[in-house]
Amino acid sequence: MIKKNLLAIIFSSLTIGFIYNAINPNGIPLIREQRTLEFVQEDTILVPSESLKSETSTVDSTNLVQSSITRPSDQSDNQNKNEQQEFVKPLAIKIGKAYQLYLQGAKFIDARMPEEFAEGHIKGAINIPFDGDESYRDILKTIGKDEIIVTYCNGTECDLSILLGDELFEKGYKRVYIFFGGWNDWLEKGYPISKGEQ
Amino acid sequence: MKKVFSNQYFLLIIRIIIAMVFIYAGAEKISDPKGFSQSIYNYRILPIETINILAITLPWLELISGILLLFGISVKENAAIIGTLLLVFIIAVALSMIRGLDIDCGCFGKGNMVGWRKIGENSLMLIICVVLMAFDSRIILLNDRKTD
Repeated sequence: MIKKNLLAIIFSSLTIGFIYNAINPNGIPLIREQRTLEFVQEDTILVPSESLKSETSTVDSTNLVQSSITRPSDQSDNQNKNEQQEFVKPLAIKIGKAYQLYLQGAKFIDARMPEEFAEGHIKGAINIPFDGDESYRDILKTIGKDEIIVTYCNGTECDLSILLGDELFEKGYKRVYIFFGGWNDWLEKGYPISKGEQ
Repeated sequence: MKKVFSNQYFLLIIRIIIAMVFIYAGAEKISDPKGFSQSIYNYRILPIETINILAITLPWLELISGILLLFGISVKENAAIIGTLLLVFIIAVALSMIRGLDIDCGCFGKGNMVGWRKIGENSLMLIICVVLMAFDSRIILLNDRKTD
């Protein structure tokens, strides 16, 4: 074995790699960016109409007038802010917001493996394993680009939901939420689940 | 056994197999640097600052070593490089299995999960590399090397 040749092969490979990456339009930055999750602000969560009523009934008439004026504008402001944020990247949500979206009929997508999905998943969720083969992605055709999508995986440690969320967002789904906490939090709260394959 | 290993045709065949595998693996990764960077990240072994450097350079090392091996240029050196890479891959796959990570191995694009099968394949290729390092493969050499 000739050391000089060995080093020459390694050195030239590294050099070509860096040069190619610099001229390649799909090249990547030298330092990988850390994916940071941006959470939906809690105040953007709409107050359910029932609790709004009970709240307003306890305050006096002057406050009632004020609140009836300020509340709608507050909400629309927040909604606008929220919609603007949604076009930048998928937003992360926690269990409270996730359940609220669930009640609103958002599409839940399970990014875990089919075996884990079969063992138990959020009721009504569909399975698109992030690492699985492409055939699963045909299911996506049934989902409109404007639908609210919530991706999830096991819990806070997994990142399949983030990866899938980012991919869906790149594919043109604009209202993608990443449910941070995922299956573990859902199960802990005792929210509706179902078992078996989809 | 030694007679089989020192058979030039046998050595040529295993050399071409390894070369093809690494040319394919390297080219596949070069075509999707973002995906390969993600695969390395999923192993959660390396610090984030080093991941992209590896994702940029490693595929080219695989590709170039594979091509040189195919044409019989510096067979021992390239077998040593590929063997070292395989050893690193085996350790990485084993570590992720021990830690219970159910991830894509990032070997040949998507759809290859870490597991015993991957360790088996890599170990077999590692053995081939060791054989090539020990016996060389002098048939169809592009460079006329008389001394080692």
